[in-house]
Amino acid sequence: MKKLAVITAVLLASVTMSYAQDCESLVKACEVHLKGKNNSFVSDGQVYTAFLDREKAEFKTTFFGGSTYRIAATAGEDDTYVIFTVTDTQGNLLFTNKNYKNSTYWDFKVPKTIPVIISTELDMDKKVTGCAVMMIGFKR
Amino acid sequence: MNSTFSVIFASFALAGIITACGSNEEKPEVAKEVLDPNSALNTNFDGKIFSIPSPMQTAMLLQEANAPFNESYLNSIDNVENYSTEMKRALNLGIYGTDLGYLAIYKQNSLSLKYLATIEKLTSKLGLEGAFDKEFMSRFEKNSTNQDSMMVIVSDAFKKSDNFLKSNDRKSVSSLILVGGWVESLYLACEINPDGKNAKITERIGEQRETLATIIEILEKYNKKGSNDELIAQMKELKVDFDKITIDYEFVQPKTEPSKKLTTLRHKTTVKMDAALLKSITDKIVSIRQKITA
Repeated sequence: MKKLAVITAVLLASVTMSYAQDCESLVKACEVHLKGKNNSFVSDGQVYTAFLDREKAEFKTTFFGGSTYRIAATAGEDDTYVIFTVTDTQGNLLFTNKNYKNSTYWDFKVPKTIPVIISTELDMDKKVTGCAVMMIGFKR
Repeated sequence: MNSTFSVIFASFALAGIITACGSNEEKPEVAKEVLDPNSALNTNFDGKIFSIPSPMQTAMLLQEANAPFNESYLNSIDNVENYSTEMKRALNLGIYGTDLGYLAIYKQNSLSLKYLATIEKLTSKLGLEGAFDKEFMSRFEKNSTNQDSMMVIVSDAFKKSDNFLKSNDRKSVSSLILVGGWVESLYLACEINPDGKNAKITERIGEQRETLATIIEILEKYNKKGSNDELIAQMKELKVDFDKITIDYEFVQPKTEPSKKLTTLRHKTTVKMDAALLKSITDKIVSIRQKITA
């Protein structure tokens, strides 16, 4: 009985590690999209990770005026798993990559500061559940 | 016995599911019901996502507004020895991180290296050596004359720390680093613009209203045994002032250029804050920062 409990614990630990590694590889892939060819975007210093399960992950941030921002997202080998949508705090749609083949990144030129809500979901036609990683970068 | 076998069976099932998550298969994966949201597997990824804009951007604005460099604004590196709790270390790591960004933007190379050494001490005590390792130090030293590269390197190191902390279920530490960084960027903006004569900086201070609301949410979410109570109360006092700022906003349809993967926002917005309100905000942020750095 004790042996079985140990085996179970080891299995669960290995499963968790495998899962973490999966997310970690996504972080690296997302970094590539964020930086682009010219490496001109500076990360905001945060990694937004969510386990998406038919639900949206939503968060608020502020885009400061005078900057260009890049949002990059990935959820697996097929980079077009993630749909991200940007709205203002009144709910007006500013952008969704759904209209652009779930593009892995998009840039936003921001002349005036604006608080925005970014929501992320998996494209249900391609992936139902899994880890999704998003990053935000800026350049002058 | 049956229950033990059930656990093992569930483990194998979970292993299969996770392997599938990392595979190249394009078909939709597991059903929602299979994953238990309360299982240990999901605990690293639960809860709300918070985002704090990079404090580096405010430091950039200060330089663009031709504010002269002033070392006295920074948290003295001698204070690092006073920080003996995880909370103090995390908050001050955020503060020193913003100071490092400020130094990088003003190309203060020798001072940057001293602040970097201080940051290294704190990261080591917080178990974050990986983010500020030898490779990072070497990159930083080699690029210490290139402002843009320095910003990228510092941001990358903080991103690495953030990722490490979040994936190791240390979100409270990660959040305190963000809070410290934000406090310092607001403090710098207020100190550099005490009379509100620089309209751009005044506007940027007022634009922190939404971020302050997020800061309070983060502190409340990760308030272990009431450790953040005092800081939350101070931030709520600060919010009283921020709520008096008038921000007018008018939505205008953005313009999207698919070939460039670019959307240009075109909304109109104005920030109104009088000198008395700015003075009150400045006094409060100075007091908050004083308590953190003491």
